[in-house]
Amino acid sequence: MMSLPSKTTMMKAKTMKPTTDPTLEAARTKILDAALTRVADEGWTSDVLDQAVVESNIDAPLAARAFPNGLASLIDAFHRRADASMEKRLAQTDLSAMKIRDRISLAVRLRLLAMEPHREAARRAMVVQGLPANVGPSLAGLYRTADAIWYAIGDTSTDFSFYTKRALVSGVYASTSVVWMSDQSDEFEDTWAFLDRRITDALKLGGLRRKLPSLEGLLGRWPGPRGIRRPLSRSPGR
Amino acid sequence: MTRTATHALPGDLSPRQKLERAIRVDHAGEFGAVRIYAGQLAVMKNGPAKDKVRKMAEQEAHHLETFEALMTTRRVRPTVLAPVWHVAGWALGAATAAMGDKAAMACTVAVEDVIDEHYRAQGKQLDGTEPELCATIEEFRAEEVEHKQMALDEGAEDAPGYLLMRLGIGAGSRMAIWLSERL
Repeated sequence: MMSLPSKTTMMKAKTMKPTTDPTLEAARTKILDAALTRVADEGWTSDVLDQAVVESNIDAPLAARAFPNGLASLIDAFHRRADASMEKRLAQTDLSAMKIRDRISLAVRLRLLAMEPHREAARRAMVVQGLPANVGPSLAGLYRTADAIWYAIGDTSTDFSFYTKRALVSGVYASTSVVWMSDQSDEFEDTWAFLDRRITDALKLGGLRRKLPSLEGLLGRWPGPRGIRRPLSRSPGR
Repeated sequence: MTRTATHALPGDLSPRQKLERAIRVDHAGEFGAVRIYAGQLAVMKNGPAKDKVRKMAEQEAHHLETFEALMTTRRVRPTVLAPVWHVAGWALGAATAAMGDKAAMACTVAVEDVIDEHYRAQGKQLDGTEPELCATIEEFRAEEVEHKQMALDEGAEDAPGYLLMRLGIGAGSRMAIWLSERL
C-alpha cells in the first residue's frame, strides 16, 4: 500500500463560487425585490413578474436574460439569495469546535431563517415548484442548497461520499422546510426539534451502512489510498 | 475545433463548464492512475522495476492531492464514476503486473501516452482563461511523459502483446476520459 501525504498539509483555502455577470445579477436583485412585495398576496404568477420588471425600470430583453425560464428562474433567484445569506452567516461563524451534526443543524436553521421575512412567499414557491414542469429545476435547486451547506461547513470530500452527503442533507433540508412553512410554535422550536431528529436519522443511516457487509466492505479490502467513502461522522475531513 | 471565449457560439461550453470538466476529469485521471499503480504494487515482486513504479506512484499521489484541493476550492463536483475507476484501475494494474514487469510497464506507456495527449489538448483549451491551472497541468504533463520514458527504458516494448495492450488500454483510457468529463 502506498502512502499519501497527510491531509493536514493540504492547503485550506476559502472556496470560490463561480462568478456571475454583474449586470444580470443587479437586474435579478431589483426585479426579485419588486416581486417580493406582491408575492405573499398574489402568489408567484407571471403577472407579478411582468409588473416587477416594469416597476424596476429594466428593459424587457435584459429581464428575459436575467430570468430565462420566467417564473422558475425568479423562484430560483429567491432561493439563491437565501443560500447566499446562509453562506455569509456561516462564513462569519467559528465552526471549528462544532460537531458535524451541529454544523448541519446550524446551516439548515440559517437557511430557513434567511427566508423568514418572506415565509409566505417561500410557502407559495413550494406550490409552484411542485408543478410537473418545474420538478427538474426544483430538484436542481435543492441540490444546490445541500451543496452550499456542505461547502459552507467545510466539507472537502472528493470521493463518492460527496454525493451520499448531499443526498442525506437534501432529505433533511427538504423535510424540515416543509415543517417550518406551517410551524406556529414560539421561535420555531417545533421545527428545530424536528430538524435534530432528522439529522440523527441521517447519521444513523450513515452508521448503518458501515455495519452492513456491503459492496463497500468488499471494496474496502482492496488496497488503496482511500476507502470508497469516508464515514460521515468523520467529515468534514481534513 | 476549439474556439476561444471571444468567439464562442451558442452551444459551446462556457468557461466555467470547461473548468469544471477539466478539474473533474483530471481528478478522475489521477485517481485512476493512483489505483493502477496501487494494483501493480500489490502484485509486483521487489526489484528495480517495483522501485520505479513506487516512485511514479508517489508523484501520482501528489497530482491527486493537488486536484482534490482544486476541486474543493473551485467547487467542482467529482465524477460519479469514482467507484468504477477505483475497482477498474486497481484491476488493470494488478492484471498487467501479473503478466510480468514488462507488461506492467507497457500499461504505463499506454496510459501515460493518452494522458500526455489529453493534458496537451486541455492546456490549449484553457489557455488564456486559467493561467494557474494551465501551469499545473503543464508541470504534471512533464512528469507523466517522464513516467512514459521510464517505462520505455524498462523494456515496455518487449512485453508480450505490446501493441495490442497499448491499443486496448489506450482506447479504454480515452473512454474513461470522455465519461469522467461528463458524468
